[in-house]
Amino acid sequence: MPDTGADAPPALSLSGLSRSFGDTRALDDVSLDIREGEFFTVVGPSGSGKTTLLRILAGLDRPTAGTLHLRGRDIAGLPPNKRPTAMVFQSLALFDHRSVGENVAFALKMRGVGAEARRTKALELLDLVRLPRDYHDRPVTQCSGGERQRVALARALASDPEILFFDEPLSALDYRLRKTLEVELRDLQKRTGRTFVYITHSLEEAMVMSDRIGIMRDGRLVQVGDPATIYGRPRDRFVARFMGEVNVFEIAGGRLPAFDAPAPAQDGWLIVRPEALAPDAGDVQFDATVTDIYRLGSRVQMHLDTAAGTLIAELPASTRLAEGDAARFGFAVADTHRVAE
Amino acid sequence: MRPGPLFALPVAVFLAVGFAMPILIVAWYSLMAPRTFDLTTVFTLANYRAAFTEGYGQPFFWSLGLAALTTLTCLLIAWPTAKVLHAHAGRVATIATALVALPIFVSESVRLFGLSLFLMPGGGIFAGSMRALFGVSIGTILNTKFAVYLGMVYIHLPFMLFPVLLGVALIPPDRVEAARDLGAGRWQVLREIELPLALPGLVIGSLLTFVLCIGANAEAAILGGRAITVVTTAIEQRFNYAQDWPMGAALTMLMIAVTAAVVFPALARVDLNRLIRR
Ligand SMILES: Nc1ncnc2c1ncn2[C@@H]1O[C@H](COP(=O)(O)OP(=O)(O)OP(=O)(O)O)[C@@H](O)[C@H]1O
Ligand SMILES: [Mg+2]
Repeated sequence: MPDTGADAPPALSLSGLSRSFGDTRALDDVSLDIREGEFFTVVGPSGSGKTTLLRILAGLDRPTAGTLHLRGRDIAGLPPNKRPTAMVFQSLALFDHRSVGENVAFALKMRGVGAEARRTKALELLDLVRLPRDYHDRPVTQCSGGERQRVALARALASDPEILFFDEPLSALDYRLRKTLEVELRDLQKRTGRTFVYITHSLEEAMVMSDRIGIMRDGRLVQVGDPATIYGRPRDRFVARFMGEVNVFEIAGGRLPAFDAPAPAQDGWLIVRPEALAPDAGDVQFDATVTDIYRLGSRVQMHLDTAAGTLIAELPASTRLAEGDAARFGFAVADTHRVAE
Repeated sequence: MRPGPLFALPVAVFLAVGFAMPILIVAWYSLMAPRTFDLTTVFTLANYRAAFTEGYGQPFFWSLGLAALTTLTCLLIAWPTAKVLHAHAGRVATIATALVALPIFVSESVRLFGLSLFLMPGGGIFAGSMRALFGVSIGTILNTKFAVYLGMVYIHLPFMLFPVLLGVALIPPDRVEAARDLGAGRWQVLREIELPLALPGLVIGSLLTFVLCIGANAEAAILGGRAITVVTTAIEQRFNYAQDWPMGAALTMLMIAVTAAVVFPALARVDLNRLIRR
């Protein structure tokens, strides 16, 4: 059992990690401690360096600068097959010349596990990722995109690694299956106490699954924190926008010029989440016309035409407002968050 | 316009006239009485019986053995070479590949005579240089079986290298990474991932080399002196000096049979489409 005491070394300790490809700084001075048994999610726009980071952690690529410790041990020179880690590749990288079962049991075969034991374990893993058992002897080339993703998942799990890396593993799955596997993965992680490092584009996924989230931008880790902090107290406008749709108002001289109202700070920007806007509410109020309405199940999102430009509001689906309606909207300054940049 | 069966007509005609007909005639001759020149309907198996009883085993053995050994050697040389060339794709690799391809455009006998000159004792380029520069006198491998083997490898390496290069290009790098990540060492990666994925290239290269080697006789003639008689030389002698066409034809048919026995099972094992489509 890994040592999870308070003074235990972190599962992974990254210090000043950088990776350049020619002039591109794909990874720029990333320092981070990933705790033992943690579900750590990395999010960021396309090309922000997420895959590069994961490849370095897995030993598939070398950093141009910086150090990497696994439980206090320097693993910079350790090849991937000597690291107690496994990765679910963004490209999946399935072995097309092998059957589903052979793919899943590959790590076991490399360790010299016998054919019978490999089969048993592979079937268990197929159950776990909800693939029918008779897929065991099928060529992977005959699997659908989502099925292939689950094979890749099972293949990485088979090696029973101490740390698991996931590079957008659920992106090709339909909504329900993704939800099921999200819960499944989270359960698995809780049950086994393994450390998971997870990349996703889906904020919902990040919010639901993670203990902590790290936001990447242009190769840098701009903010690390638990989901509530990242969502509620983003460090800057970039993080706020990245974590969902927001309304951003400039603060100048202690006031909000957009509404000619007092602001909670001298300067910077005020972040107002769509759910903070409501009709006839709050201490900052303004006239608005509803231009578009999008139904999101139990909630509706609407675009408002106001003197401050187009704003986004999110209300319960029970709202009576319809497209074209004029109303007085507002928000409470206490429900907002101010960032400096 | 969609290519229909009509498009296959030119090649079908060519194959019928240039390939099927000659083989048919040779097969017919092989069933004629020894030392006759007429194609009749009086068939005999005398030539085939002679092929197995009158000392043709040696040439067959040498041709097949040399072909197998040469193919294996070329494969062992071509694999790491192709890996390096593929990994360092760019100007240097292009030049290196061109240098490997260049000898194909020079007549085989010219190259073999060059090699023979290089290896000649006393005044040969290698021995001469050694004596002039370092004052050492060395013997020569010219006119030995080893020289023939060396010449065979030298001549046929390009025919192996290019298909193997194609094969190596079929290996997606992320598969190798995934295997490494899942705990495979370098040899395991080679056996489990690289060789199976590159197989079409390896099989094509091996078949090409093997078949060319079976038909080769210049190496033995120019570099081997009288050390080896290969089967093609034996066949040539039957047709020319001995004026025994039926015997030569029978040996030819046996050679074709042996080659087919090697080629077809090997071809059946690879998916040629993979090599063409990517
Ligand atoms: N092998 C490479 N050679 C050159 N540039 C590379 C290489 N790998 C990545 N890059 C560059 O590094 C940057 C980061 O790439 P990376 O793959 O880490 O992005 P990502 O965050 O995973 O994006 P996505 O969400 O689209 O997968 C990109 O600008 C990319 O073009
Ligand atoms: Mg990526």
